[in-house]
Amino acid sequence: MTALLEVRGLTKRYLGLTAVDRVSFDVEAGAVVGLIGPNGSGKSTIVDCVSGFQAVDGGQWALDGHVLTGLPTHRIARAGLTRTFQAVRAYDELSLLDNLRVAAQESDGVGWLSSLARGRRSRSAEATAGARARELLATIELTEYAEAPAAILSYGQRKLLAIAAAMMARPRLVVLDEPVAGVNPTMIRRIEQVLHRLNAEGVTLVIVEHNVDFIMSLCGRVVVLEAGRKIADGPPSLIRNDPRVLAAYLGQRGAAELRHGSP
Amino acid sequence: MTPAGRRGCAALVGVAALFAIPRVTGNEYVLALGVSFATFSVLAGGLNLVYGYTGLLSFAQVGFFGIGGYTAALLVTEQGWSLWTGAAAGGLLATLVGLVIGYSSLRLSRHSFAIVSLSFALLCMIVARDWVSLTRGAMGIPGLPVPSLSLPGWQWRLGRPSDFYYLLLAFAVLAQALIYVIVTSRLGRAMRAIKLNEPLAESQGIDPLRYKLLAIALSALLAGIVGGFFVFYLTIVDPSIFDFYYTETMLIMVIIGGPGSFWGVLGSSAVLAALPDLLRFTTDLRMVLYGAVLIATMLVFPGGVGGWLERRRLRRWRRPRPATP
Repeated sequence: MTALLEVRGLTKRYLGLTAVDRVSFDVEAGAVVGLIGPNGSGKSTIVDCVSGFQAVDGGQWALDGHVLTGLPTHRIARAGLTRTFQAVRAYDELSLLDNLRVAAQESDGVGWLSSLARGRRSRSAEATAGARARELLATIELTEYAEAPAAILSYGQRKLLAIAAAMMARPRLVVLDEPVAGVNPTMIRRIEQVLHRLNAEGVTLVIVEHNVDFIMSLCGRVVVLEAGRKIADGPPSLIRNDPRVLAAYLGQRGAAELRHGSP
Repeated sequence: MTPAGRRGCAALVGVAALFAIPRVTGNEYVLALGVSFATFSVLAGGLNLVYGYTGLLSFAQVGFFGIGGYTAALLVTEQGWSLWTGAAAGGLLATLVGLVIGYSSLRLSRHSFAIVSLSFALLCMIVARDWVSLTRGAMGIPGLPVPSLSLPGWQWRLGRPSDFYYLLLAFAVLAQALIYVIVTSRLGRAMRAIKLNEPLAESQGIDPLRYKLLAIALSALLAGIVGGFFVFYLTIVDPSIFDFYYTETMLIMVIIGGPGSFWGVLGSSAVLAALPDLLRFTTDLRMVLYGAVLIATMLVFPGGVGGWLERRRLRRWRRPRPATP
């Protein structure tokens, strides 16, 4: 069986700098894969490339056998690959329900005329999306704010909302760009639980993070980047002890932290 | 009754009252204000769709308005078309031009659209003034004939001021209904999403270009048709139809009413429709006053009436609530 996401030789250059250098990796359906590496190692660039926000200079990637290389962002999203953003994004003036419902409306196949005339297909699609939105709001425990504008949410709540929105259209794979950066420890645990639950429902996750504990506890496999190149790829137990990772990415102190837990 | 039902009833009563005005008073000044309101409500409503909902600052509305006016006037006087087919043709031509401008400039950025739309409006004025063989230049096309509408068993000659009041009011009601249906639909929601956070919208499968072009095309269609009607009300079309003061009036209506607020902009169109006339005594000072009002609004009343309502909604949600377990 082929992998759900196949990335082959992905390359991105900025003028003289090669930010991502022939990176290849697979993500199996149902997996939770971590993407880690020091600052500037190319993690976020990979997210921007596979989600269509940046044009690539080489390489290909495919979701479930469908080549996505060169497609615009909205087409990639409709193909089943969605993402969240490092600088969390939400529609501040829209209610939480609308934040979620709008995220599914391009995938339900309802045309403009039916949308305008509030035809039967449009109404049934909206009902389905509404039910899904309420279900996700329950998962992220924000049901009581369903009708409130997103502007009232805290930073961590916005991260949860962004995750829920990325799940709305029932994508095959979601790439999360630093889902717990700048979030307090309690909220980190909640985000972890939510991601666990969504993964259990069948969504494949790729997580870019700096928080090593978070990655190690959540991911079945970790891909490590350094200066745009993949230097390791394997289960957390192997990554913890990979000498190249320890030397290049974590350094001596980081290595100690990993072996003995955080100080 | 539900709030939506109440609002619907209020709207019906309002429309009925507006239609009854000529029966109460034949005062031409009142009717002229009514025509001004109807016309500007369509222009400002279209601008609100493009700027308020989709987030594209556009100066092109006045160009669509004038293109509609010139097209209708030329087709009627030179080709013998009726006002109805002429205005429809004007609306369609404006739509086409809007799509071309939008498609060519939106692929770059939303700022490039603002600049291109401004250049387009200025270009329209120059074409109208200098392409004398087509537009008859600065003198324009005066003496536009009185239009009439003949249906089986019914003939309507639009010879009195009240006739144009009825015509423009009926069209404004149609246009506002169309805008309302759009902004309250899923399409309007997607437009707001694009305005509020375009990269997020894209990442959710929304193609911003399609929605932006839809907003531009609709606003151009409505502005073009209303332009066709308006010049026949004036009985003349000349390059001043592209005057920047129309743009400024539309902008002021949208900004004071609140970009992205349907009722806010409709309300401010009604209140501010009287403005051009009240300031007639001083054409030069008018622009200065408009500019001052615009700046003052942005400073002390950001988001206009709609923005104020939005802030109230936020405050209500932010009020301390009983702790939940």
